[in-house]
Amino acid sequence: MRTATKLVVTISAVAFIATGCSGSKGGGSSGDNHLIIGTTSNIDTMNPFVTFQQNSYAAFEYIYPQLVQFAANGTTVVPDFATKWTTSPNGLVWTFDTVPNATWSDGQPLTAKDIDFTFNTILKYGDGPAGSLVGGLANVKSVKATSDDKLVITYSVAAANVLQELQGIPVLPEHVWAQYATGDGKGLRQFPNLPENGQPLVSGGPFELASYTKDSVAIFARNDTFYGPKPHIDGFGLQYFSNDDAMISALRSGQIQAAINVPPTAVKTLKGDSGLTVYDGPGLQFRDFIINSSPHKTQNLELLDPRVRMAMEYAIDRTSIVQTAWLGYAKPGATILPPAAGIWSDPSIKPLPFDIDKANAILDAAGYAKGSGGIRVANGHPMSYTVLFAKDESGAGDTAFQIIQNGFKQIGIQITQRKEDNDAVNTAILGDNNTYNKFDLAMWDWYPCCPVPDFILSVVQCNEFGNWSDTGYCNPAYDKLYKAQGLERNLKKREQIVYQMQKILYDDRPYIVLSNDDTLNAWSTQWDGFVEGPLGLFNNLSKASLTEVHRVS
Amino acid sequence: MHRADYVIKRAFFALMTVFVAITINFLLFRALPGSAVANFARAPHASPQLKEELTKEFGLDQPLLKQYGLYLNQLIFHGNMGISFADNQPVTSELAGKLRNTIGMVTVGTVLAISIGIVTGFVSAWRRGGAVDAVSTNTAIIAYALPTQFIGMMLIFLFAKYLPTAGMRNEVNNFFSGGNTWDSIKDIGTHMILPALTLALTLFGEYTLVVRSSMLETLGEDYVLTARAKGLPQRRIVVSHALRNAMLPIATLVALSLGFIVAGAILVEIVFSWPGIGQAVYEAVATRDYPMLQGAFLVLTLSVVFFNFIADLIYFRLDPRITG
Repeated sequence: MRTATKLVVTISAVAFIATGCSGSKGGGSSGDNHLIIGTTSNIDTMNPFVTFQQNSYAAFEYIYPQLVQFAANGTTVVPDFATKWTTSPNGLVWTFDTVPNATWSDGQPLTAKDIDFTFNTILKYGDGPAGSLVGGLANVKSVKATSDDKLVITYSVAAANVLQELQGIPVLPEHVWAQYATGDGKGLRQFPNLPENGQPLVSGGPFELASYTKDSVAIFARNDTFYGPKPHIDGFGLQYFSNDDAMISALRSGQIQAAINVPPTAVKTLKGDSGLTVYDGPGLQFRDFIINSSPHKTQNLELLDPRVRMAMEYAIDRTSIVQTAWLGYAKPGATILPPAAGIWSDPSIKPLPFDIDKANAILDAAGYAKGSGGIRVANGHPMSYTVLFAKDESGAGDTAFQIIQNGFKQIGIQITQRKEDNDAVNTAILGDNNTYNKFDLAMWDWYPCCPVPDFILSVVQCNEFGNWSDTGYCNPAYDKLYKAQGLERNLKKREQIVYQMQKILYDDRPYIVLSNDDTLNAWSTQWDGFVEGPLGLFNNLSKASLTEVHRVS
Repeated sequence: MHRADYVIKRAFFALMTVFVAITINFLLFRALPGSAVANFARAPHASPQLKEELTKEFGLDQPLLKQYGLYLNQLIFHGNMGISFADNQPVTSELAGKLRNTIGMVTVGTVLAISIGIVTGFVSAWRRGGAVDAVSTNTAIIAYALPTQFIGMMLIFLFAKYLPTAGMRNEVNNFFSGGNTWDSIKDIGTHMILPALTLALTLFGEYTLVVRSSMLETLGEDYVLTARAKGLPQRRIVVSHALRNAMLPIATLVALSLGFIVAGAILVEIVFSWPGIGQAVYEAVATRDYPMLQGAFLVLTLSVVFFNFIADLIYFRLDPRITG
């Protein structure tokens, strides 16, 4: 018995030592005026030159100043570190007034010179270590802080989207980062940018990063030196869950106070819990059925026929997809700028109705007669295709595929699913030398960073071959319009160009947009004030949500 | 001399196994369709050149053989596992932290499983054919057959109200509310209960069945019959004669299990978001983080090979029939 006791004590001690027995880090905040937010997407790194994860960008929004931010509606731009701005008549010179007498969390002055440093560093190393941020400074000729409170940015062309692009760039403290912005700039990507020796990360936003454990938790404490409205909470933790069922259980049991990107399967249960508030609003993410549109396509060329594409759309039962696959927590989609994109989404574009007879009639008229087994024949071969299916779509997407497969079967088109991880699907789509010459069909999704049209409209340009394009679509007329909308500073006129572009894509169907995901978040009724938007309660668009959230009981 | 030969021979095989595993680890992920840089270049404000830049930075523009040579050189002569593609930090230090987290939780789970398995297997064999045997054996078979993630999820659904279901400690509350070392011990302990229990439930069935089978085999041996004929008490026959001889396969099984102590926790860590090496592998696979994958699989390989080597030595020590 004594031996057994010894054994248990020894094992416990070893396990405890092995897992690390560091006690509390302190923090000095009182009571429980903090909350834990659960997420199934991790923060890969806190280095803005390295990250590609949405939650990292959202974290930067809260710890760093941005020149501007989006308002709650997600489309209007409002002040952040810049209090006001003016544009020269030719639209090339933008002058920003910034908050005077601001400081970083370590007491150092936070001025327009920090913006000057950050932007010029990105421009200087844009072809190398700063390549992941330089897109936000497209067409910038020079950046100059003319005083501590004034910044002048000069563009080579008068762009329409200046403020929206600048919003995505965090302003970094020069006194921390200057030592890495030397030589080849590789230090910019090697600096971990994490709290050290018990000291929080030097921050300039409403919160400072106090602690970070990779793939586990990031803790943000209120930054009392913040130049803007002070948060009501002492801080918050972003807790990573590698399993969304565990996140839901943790929310229901009170281990966490909020959860972002709740799976549709859990919404009904959460809505039935009187201790929880569930937000179900429009989202930017859309699921799409891709039809290879590459001019280099070498086989199954009938898929380039607009009549085949239209018939395919008629044979897709979007209502079933939304109701069965997404349990009603999505909306039938039609355009790549969903309604959550606000004014930029063309309301006149509607999905075609599910109509098998019409689809069959179109294919009959086009001369694709049915062959053996009811499968139509095109150019001497059966209309039988493989659909590349990205791992991202697993789950609800599998059900969506089955619904599409069933619809296509009724019009004499056979499809089979080839499920692979995202990188493998990407490689298969790109084909030989990025010519998109091999694949036929695919299913994937897009999760645009912001409710502005620039990015998502750009992915189907000819010059995106080998980069963002996943359709092989190339239409010079479309590209011309893309350029035009980027230069059109009259909002109404720009809106019309953006609508025109959506119409072109809708008619050409490189994508058949299947559905727009709802944004699904949930939180304890003991908390209120979250500002919801198309990217949820923790996003990279605005500092409002976690500044305004507060405890109600 | 004979023993030294045996040890040297086994050590040589172990080293060769590690070398082959390193090579396969290096080639395996690169043989997969897809690109390591595609994910990392998907930043919203990325330049079109970013992919090329990252390919260069990660050294993936070099010929495969050269990449392999550099990898071996850094690994063998500098103990350097490379830099993670995901966060640009050294793999060795990241893995060390993850490994420490894994070992703690898995040690508790495995020891629990071994203890329960030996006791229930022993009791089953002793009470063979009775109700205790039936309950014990069937429970073991069911536990053995159930997938780890299923057991983990069931425990989460049952105990989420009472016990933490994710992470290794409640860092957020600790940070804002403070606490002493004892609170920290309790915190880690309560976080460890469900994952360790899941692991124990997953593993104990195998131990029960092996111990029972081994015990039954030895209980049928002539020397046990002789002991009975001599009129020795049943307890002494079972404990001193049968159990000691039955320990041979059990010791091997335990040693082999310890080898998988690290690898076996992948599913448990994913279900309970335990920040260990299993979760690191999961994340690295999703992002094609080659250096992290190579490092993690090297650790898993070393662990299995090392404990296999130990098992060989134990076997050699326990069984005089083995001559090497």
